[in-house]
Amino acid sequence: MMPMDEIKDSEMIVHLGPQHPILAGPFMLDLRLEGETVKEAEFTLGYGHKGVEKILEDRMYISCIPVTDRICYLASLSNNEVFCNCIEKLLDVEVPERAQYIRVILMELSRIQSHLIGLGEFAEFIGFMSMFMFLVREREDILTLLEMITGARLTHSFVRPGGVRLDLPENFKEKALKILPDFEKRVREDQETLESDEIYIERTEGVGVVPTSLAKEVGVAGPVLRASGVNYDIRRVEPTLVYKDLDFKVITATAGDTFARAHCRFEEIYESIYIIQQCLDQIPSGEVRAKLPKTLKPEGEVYCRVEDPRGEMAFYMIADGSPKPYRVRIRGPAYATLQALPPVLEGVYVADVPAIIGSMDGCTSEVDR
Amino acid sequence: MVVEEVGTVIDLLHTYLIHIFSQYPFLKPLLIGFVGACVITGILFVAGMFVVWLERKFSADMQTRFGPNRVGGRYGQLQLLADAIKLFTKEDLVPETADIWLFTGAPIIAILSALMMAAGMPFGYVEVFGKQYLMAITNMDIGVLYVEAMAAISVFGIFMAGWGSASKYAVIGAFRSIAKMIGYEVPLAITVVSAAVMVGSLNFVDIVNFQTSLSFLGLEHVPAWLLILQPLGFFVFGVSLLADMGSKPFDQPEAEEELVAGWGVDYSGMRWALIYFSEYFHLILGACLFVLLFLGGWTLPFDMPANLTLPVFFGKVLLVILAVLVVRWSLPRYRIDQVQRLGWKILLPLSLVNLAWASAIGVML
Repeated sequence: MMPMDEIKDSEMIVHLGPQHPILAGPFMLDLRLEGETVKEAEFTLGYGHKGVEKILEDRMYISCIPVTDRICYLASLSNNEVFCNCIEKLLDVEVPERAQYIRVILMELSRIQSHLIGLGEFAEFIGFMSMFMFLVREREDILTLLEMITGARLTHSFVRPGGVRLDLPENFKEKALKILPDFEKRVREDQETLESDEIYIERTEGVGVVPTSLAKEVGVAGPVLRASGVNYDIRRVEPTLVYKDLDFKVITATAGDTFARAHCRFEEIYESIYIIQQCLDQIPSGEVRAKLPKTLKPEGEVYCRVEDPRGEMAFYMIADGSPKPYRVRIRGPAYATLQALPPVLEGVYVADVPAIIGSMDGCTSEVDR
Repeated sequence: MVVEEVGTVIDLLHTYLIHIFSQYPFLKPLLIGFVGACVITGILFVAGMFVVWLERKFSADMQTRFGPNRVGGRYGQLQLLADAIKLFTKEDLVPETADIWLFTGAPIIAILSALMMAAGMPFGYVEVFGKQYLMAITNMDIGVLYVEAMAAISVFGIFMAGWGSASKYAVIGAFRSIAKMIGYEVPLAITVVSAAVMVGSLNFVDIVNFQTSLSFLGLEHVPAWLLILQPLGFFVFGVSLLADMGSKPFDQPEAEEELVAGWGVDYSGMRWALIYFSEYFHLILGACLFVLLFLGGWTLPFDMPANLTLPVFFGKVLLVILAVLVVRWSLPRYRIDQVQRLGWKILLPLSLVNLAWASAIGVML
């Protein structure tokens, strides 16, 4: 940000944050405004630093799992997944196939509920309060399913090294196959309500464009990257679990604006539903957890990544053979995605700032860790 | 017995008042004005509280929530009373950097604008002992113009609040409210003028009586509402009125998402309550204006007793308010430059076309 004495009389600096209605977690966004136009944007992170990486170094492997939940509560299952993935790779354990299917189901369910919250907040940021309520209402169905499997609505801590904690409940398949088509119908209805709205289209089309070059340069991830025309999905590029046996489309768009990002999220919800339905059809019977020693003592270095709701979530783990990890480095998608904010915000209207932030779906909790 | 005594007292009071008024003629308008002001203010505050409650319940229904459901019964009937008591007993806080005259004056101007609007509007007739009384504080010949002017004053209140708060969010909100006003006020005024042109009067009673029925065309039971005679004007006026009320697609000055609360960000307690109420008064009175100008006021296209006019009028107002609430809770917000574009590129030409249409039809009638 340019120093105070160089600012023209017609300009002013407005701080959006650290406490502001649009920010779920605290971060500071300084905007240099001329009238309603943003001339320059700068943001400061770190207000919600939890020190997750350091905490992980001081815990037994199994008790690290609840900590990984807290990195981002909307994506706790994929954080569990990638942490356990690291341990499995180091110990060279084969996860039973049934457990792999259950993990895929869990990750897709958690992707759906995260996208619904993201879309709802995005709609609220352009002033569409009712749409937020509608999408949260639909999300209740997905939380019901997650609660059936894991017993929790947030912070599930369900994935274990070598499998999952418990098998699926008895009537899960029937219940899920009953709920999901109805759920999809309602979300499609909400999508139509939103995307047929003239004001919504005017507010989002061509606003906050992330060009493909910029997206690649700063390394934005997930739906934001795919909305900018890059066909990149860890589920395809480096499939873990049983993703290679499943049929799904990688949703991309070319516009790269806020409309495209929201559209991609909606479409990904339908793809996730399709994936879950396939899993429920194909899931074999059998064990859900491989036999492992009581105290895990892996050794070596490993880098694992999965497709988080927000993009590429990666853990780099160094294990020295002791019961605690030596070092865990977390590379989250939201931090990288938010790096695209300052260049994109330049020249937009101040009313579009919340819309753009909402469409990036940056989870401050995950950014700060 | 008691009735007779009361009758005697009223008779005495009546003769006494006549005596006083004959000696001091200037007292009569003063007394009527004072009583009228008290009644209108009281009614408006109660109606405002009702509309706030209605909006909270209605929006909750639209969004599959419950809304207020604790205070005063399962429908939360007394929620607003509790809120009002809380707001009126809070600490009176003025920020240190605020301009104290602007900051304290703004809520007064805002509420004044709404109350002055109400003073120029007729609401129907009441028939007592075979005599009809018009329910209005004043029945001016320039009533429409007066109400429009008073409605426009509220922007001063908003700008004073924003400028006096010395907060950046508030200043942006204040600028936006002026910019928005420039966008919608011109088409609004032109549609009001075209309504007056078609009727040939700026008096509300004349405008309402004109809309009773299309009897001049031989259609006895078809209402001659300006909604039917000027559909374009109805549309333009409706949209501009939404902007005037600061309803959802046009609530940029207080956009929560970017400006926290816009021009009202530094207000709390009683001052905030006054500003809040003045917004709801604008909603109610805007709906009244709408009914008077375009929905036939208190008339229906057939004869009815004079005492039914008030229920008919407020029934129509309630319907308009519900329509506004539906719009308010089912649309996202325009950006401020889009409001300008809407106002100058769409509403203004349409309102001019409507003016030409109204003049042509007015001459033919």
